[in-house]
Amino acid sequence: MSFARLGLWLLRRERASGEWRVLLLALIIGVGSVSTTGFLGDRLKRAMSEQGASFLGADLLVTSPRPIEDWPVLAVTKSARTASPLARSQALEFPSMLAKGDAFQLATLRAVDASYPLRGSVRIADRPFAAGTARPAQPPPGMIYVAPDLLPLLSAKVGDRVQIGEARFTIAGIVAEEPGQLGGVFGLAPRVFMRADEVAKTRVLQPGSRVTYLYQFAGDPAQLAAFGAALKPRLDSTQRLIGSREGIETLRGAFANADRYIQLTALISLLLSVAAIAIAAHRHALRHYDQAALLRCFGATTAQLRTLYAVQLLTLGLLGSLIGVAIGALMQQALTLLVLPDAVTRLPSLGLAPVGAAVFSGLLALAGASLPALMRLIRVPPLRVLRRDLPPLPVAAWLSAAISGSALLLLIAWYAGNARLIGVFVGALAGLIAVLALLARLALVAGRGVQKMSHGPVRFGLAQLLRHRFDSTLQLGAFTLALFLVALLALVRSDLIAGWRQQLPPDAPNYFLINIAPAQQQSVAAFLSQHHLKASALYPMVRGRLTTRNGAPIASTLPPDARDANSLRRELNLTWTATLPANNAVLAGHWHGDRRVGEISVESGMAERLHLALGDQLGFQVGDQTLAARITSIRSVKWDSMQPNFFVIFAPGQLDALPASSIASLYVPPDAAGVLPGFIKTFPGITVLALDRLIANLEAVFDQIIGAIQLLLGFLLAAGMAVVIATLLASLDARQQEAVLLRTLGAQRAYLAKSLWSEFLALGLLAGLLASACAEIAMALIAQRLFELPLRLHPWLWLALPVTGALLVGMSGWLTTRHITRVPPMQSIRALG
Amino acid sequence: MTLPDSAQFPDTVVLARDLSQRVPTAGGMLDILSEVGLAVKAGETLAITGASGSGKSTLLGLLAGLDHPSAGEITLLGQRLDALDEDARARLRAGRIGFVFQSFQLLPALTALENVLLPLELAGRPDARERAAHWLDRVGLATRATHTPRQLSGGEQQRIAIARAFATDPEIVFADEPTGNLDADTGARIIELLFELNASAHTTLILVTHDDALAARCQRRLHLVAGRAREEAVA
Repeated sequence: MSFARLGLWLLRRERASGEWRVLLLALIIGVGSVSTTGFLGDRLKRAMSEQGASFLGADLLVTSPRPIEDWPVLAVTKSARTASPLARSQALEFPSMLAKGDAFQLATLRAVDASYPLRGSVRIADRPFAAGTARPAQPPPGMIYVAPDLLPLLSAKVGDRVQIGEARFTIAGIVAEEPGQLGGVFGLAPRVFMRADEVAKTRVLQPGSRVTYLYQFAGDPAQLAAFGAALKPRLDSTQRLIGSREGIETLRGAFANADRYIQLTALISLLLSVAAIAIAAHRHALRHYDQAALLRCFGATTAQLRTLYAVQLLTLGLLGSLIGVAIGALMQQALTLLVLPDAVTRLPSLGLAPVGAAVFSGLLALAGASLPALMRLIRVPPLRVLRRDLPPLPVAAWLSAAISGSALLLLIAWYAGNARLIGVFVGALAGLIAVLALLARLALVAGRGVQKMSHGPVRFGLAQLLRHRFDSTLQLGAFTLALFLVALLALVRSDLIAGWRQQLPPDAPNYFLINIAPAQQQSVAAFLSQHHLKASALYPMVRGRLTTRNGAPIASTLPPDARDANSLRRELNLTWTATLPANNAVLAGHWHGDRRVGEISVESGMAERLHLALGDQLGFQVGDQTLAARITSIRSVKWDSMQPNFFVIFAPGQLDALPASSIASLYVPPDAAGVLPGFIKTFPGITVLALDRLIANLEAVFDQIIGAIQLLLGFLLAAGMAVVIATLLASLDARQQEAVLLRTLGAQRAYLAKSLWSEFLALGLLAGLLASACAEIAMALIAQRLFELPLRLHPWLWLALPVTGALLVGMSGWLTTRHITRVPPMQSIRALG
Repeated sequence: MTLPDSAQFPDTVVLARDLSQRVPTAGGMLDILSEVGLAVKAGETLAITGASGSGKSTLLGLLAGLDHPSAGEITLLGQRLDALDEDARARLRAGRIGFVFQSFQLLPALTALENVLLPLELAGRPDARERAAHWLDRVGLATRATHTPRQLSGGEQQRIAIARAFATDPEIVFADEPTGNLDADTGARIIELLFELNASAHTTLILVTHDDALAARCQRRLHLVAGRAREEAVA
């Protein structure tokens, strides 16, 4: 028999052994965790790649806040003569209200021509969540296609008639699929397709309305390149030209970053599993020194032993990894259903690439955790058969550390991708381990006091905990980490939104009115006062992009890491007023008041991010005009006040001549909500944004994301339990000897059981208390630093976590050790040799 | 004690010259064996006796190639052990040397049959399973083939260990205190079995014991006193 086969044979015979089971379990948990996120990320990435040009709906897309009339005319080149001309399509996108009876909902309308989309396809179904058939996105006259999530919001079905502005349309179908869409879940305003030639009759668009013009092109690549090159210099900073590859790359880049962080979260479970694997492998090696010595005695060489144990390890590694991958495949499906319920059927099927990646991670983690122990095993001297106290030849500590360290570092590097993230991750991990180890030690020191006060089996159980200090610290640390992260997420979920809601005064505005045309201002005010509704001041709003600071392009004045600021990437809502809005306070400089000069006031956060100072001259691109103004004040803004808030406020005079619509916020008491359908009918062009619904939508998205991460943290809890079981198994022989001694001295089984339970319950309780403390501190920091919410304590946490900890640790501990209370002392003595 | 060259002992299976074993201890170097010489012919039975700590097991380990001496030479089955490294010595043992230990050393996860099978499989014997069953039968435990060591008494475990030692048809069987963990009656039955099998298999048997009854069954006896050997006549 070859040693490889012998290895498998022995493995099969020992498959019931505790160490192999724990090792396998830990590996399954770790690989399950990384493969869950691996599968999901891979499906999403492939969905993006496979969609290619169809992602944009075109080969080239130009977006602009106003119509572009003047397109470059390409010189007739050789290739242009042979190739057909570029295909073109034009669309408008704008927000508007849809109303049916008393129900109304904000939607994003895309008004398209007959050739949309140029690439990819739109699928229209006759009922929600059906696959549908590929059709032009342009509905027949008088009809619209709507996103499936719009129907319940309007209590509508296919065939119903809805109001958009001043026109009525029939819902002719459901948009089951459109270019550039992976899932409609994150859309806060559901999509509606209508005909471009029917926009005018709705009368929704007024001067100053928010609208985006989309120009799409497709055709010969050389022609497209020449067209793009000719077009680029003509575009101003409010207009964008996106090639299909660029569009995908931008999205993929943003996605890859998010994916990386989620993968690293999953990696924590694998790393915790590594601790359990290392402990199990160490115990396995200890228990197999005799076997290895015997095999050497029977004539096995070092190489043969290496083969034997390597085959065993590889088999377990592959088995554990593959089961982990299978669990990962199931879990990712659950995760997909949670995060992208309506996209599940549209995502590509499971890929094979993550299987390789997960198996490789599993084997790497296993190698890093168990090779040092197995290296000692094959170095057992054969003489041990005669002298059982003879230890294996030591493996140099640096070698073990180098093997484990490089395997783990390789694993982290692989998931983190870049040096900075590796550094941050390793640093954070090391810091967390140090803090947890310190806390665990302190808790154990405190436990000594409790132990002194207790007596009988409880005292003995606590003594065990304090005696196996290293084990206890490890168990406590691992379990605290798992409970802490789970609790923190639960707090984030419940606290941030609830805390923020509680903070709002009861009559805080709950609706925003957007797109109020100048001519409507009087009648809107009259309507509101007639119905006794209180609105904020009306703020005129124009959209513009910040382009220069003191004459230089703004990006060039910033350090590289600040150039990505959100306020540079998008158009800002600019307003002008002589009165400092409520909830704003001037922090530096002087409020411009009604001086009609080129002065602006900038929000303090934006000033900080963009390194702006009083006296700076900022340049803006508004429509086709450029404006310049000097910063004369810096303001703080209470963003959660539910009032219209602005980053930049101009002094009156400079923007007045530009087409602007106004915005106001409004409090509608619950008993007056019936007024709104009337308002929408009276002012069909005005967008009414229900904050309650917006917040509910945000909460739903938030819940989905947190639910998904909590699913991943389930792996972390399981890995924490594996660590507890592995450390207990490692101390099982010593415990059994003690139990035998105690029983021989007359201790009853109940005494042993009580002492074990008190040990594990104490461990779980302590872990729960430490995790509660960590979660409270972390939550306080998050709430105060990031969200400026008042400090809140969570008494229920201090009950829930210790109880959960005690239950989980108690159960895993008892299941691992219970048989030592049952075995008769004589049998134990014999088993221990 | 010195011995002539192995050439003068053509049927010698174990030949030791001037064997010494010194180990470092906290109080300085300790001599466990000093200048021990020994020649054992094929088919002979030799008892190594002595008080606790006299170096018996150390000598057995050296003769079987499980350890190297500090000084001296050992020739085992015609091969000079000092010329072989650890792995080469292991290969020399494979299938040609059997062992019986005081603490039985059965693998707890394997059944009785599988424990006997193990060295046969390692030696690559084609009829391993039949041979293992045969030897289990020879030691009277055919009915316990599927039992694991935990389900067997000490005497039964040692019988399995004996079957395992003889199963490969070894040229030499080394036994370290084979009755040390057994009561007198069981020990006597084990001795009986060991010698019976040894006689029928024409194996060389070298055993370490402090049991005079067991030593008396051997053709020769080497008595160790504080690491020095004295060959004694067997009564």
